[in-house]
Amino acid sequence: MSVLDIIIDYHMAFLNGLLVTVQLCAIIWSVGIIIGTLTAIGSIKYHKIIGIPARIFSFILSGIPILVFLYWLHYPAQSIFDLVIDPFYTAALTLTIVNIFGVYDLVREALENFPKQYLTAAKVTGLSKKQTIFKVQLPLIIRQVLPGLLLLQVIMLHTTLFASLISVEEIFRAAQRINAHIYKPVEIYTALGIFFLIICLPINGFAM
Amino acid sequence: MLIANNISKTYENEKIIDKVSLSIKAGEMTVLIGPSGGGKSTLLRILSMLTPPDEGEIILNDNKYKFPLPKNINEISPRPWPELTAVFQQLFLWPHMTLRENIIFPALNILNEEEAKKELDELIELFDMASFIDKYPNETSGGQRQRAAIARALILQPSYIMLDEVTSALDIEQAAKVLDILKKLKKKNISILLITHHVNFAKDVANQIIFLDKGKIIESGGAEILIEPKNKRLKQFLSIIESTS
Repeated sequence: MSVLDIIIDYHMAFLNGLLVTVQLCAIIWSVGIIIGTLTAIGSIKYHKIIGIPARIFSFILSGIPILVFLYWLHYPAQSIFDLVIDPFYTAALTLTIVNIFGVYDLVREALENFPKQYLTAAKVTGLSKKQTIFKVQLPLIIRQVLPGLLLLQVIMLHTTLFASLISVEEIFRAAQRINAHIYKPVEIYTALGIFFLIICLPINGFAM
Repeated sequence: MLIANNISKTYENEKIIDKVSLSIKAGEMTVLIGPSGGGKSTLLRILSMLTPPDEGEIILNDNKYKFPLPKNINEISPRPWPELTAVFQQLFLWPHMTLRENIIFPALNILNEEEAKKELDELIELFDMASFIDKYPNETSGGQRQRAAIARALILQPSYIMLDEVTSALDIEQAAKVLDILKKLKKKNISILLITHHVNFAKDVANQIIFLDKGKIIESGGAEILIEPKNKRLKQFLSIIESTS
């Protein structure tokens, strides 16, 4: 049975798994990018209220392996609060928090290190605040942040595989199930690799 | 007319500008000279309204700006730019725009597209920029960028222009060209405040020369202060300039 045969025969299982992965990514990417960017902007404007707590949380989070964080939110946290949450939402929440603070760190650094001289030039040439933000600051910050942001989103896509460990039926879990059924690990995980390459390579290429 | 009264500025307990008063008349050129660290660039930033002084007042035409600003106000009002504009030693061109876009974009706030294009064409010819005007700043030399930065200031048709060592990145020929353009600006009734180490240029063209050291105006006047300086410190400064040029 070749890789192609496996993809054809089990395409529905793969597609169902892929759909869950895509749903997870849609939440992680969109919420992470929006909230992360807003937190970074807020942290510059309201340093004490948003900036300091966000930095502390980001620092603590950077020391916790994602898998430990995911397990903690899945088992102890739900036990402490006496809750039972669908693993999909637990995975989405965990990875979104990780992405929020990843995006926050990238955008905050770009905002903090934005060369002041470009703003000075905007001032002395009489640009309005709106023109300065949209025509000078934003394009330069996007240019600086975009490669790192895209690479981070690819990494977040990879981390969705962890969701399988708390029984989320995403693509890796689908591959595991197929493997349990026919035991063709080389072909199945090659097929999985091809799925990821198709999604990740264009993003990586764009980031470069 | 631009008038500064009793301007002072302190950084980390060090007085950078100490009760400086000066006036720049319409269409006149004022040249600031002095040793490095003497406060020239700080004074130019203050007069450009980019750095608020700790105390003093600046009067620009009919507007009076009193410092320090009231606690609840972060920005000066009314905004004096681009009627008053500045070009600095470091090149502040926006890197995501070509030199043409750098010049034309702010100009469109005060001119229509056709006028801006016409003005730009004149400046391209004046500054000999045709060969590199559509390049990005990182694709051009320091001298080319400097010319574009000055052109960007000039297209805004300012009444006052502050120039901080704008010839420092240029070779002798280009520097001479820029200085020649500054002479022409004077004729156009544009007031110029220039920081330069080209003492001979100051002698020839400036209406007012100010020697600033340790944040204080040590001596000021016309070309005569460079020919027959009264102050010992200015004499010493000029002899150093002469020996190094």
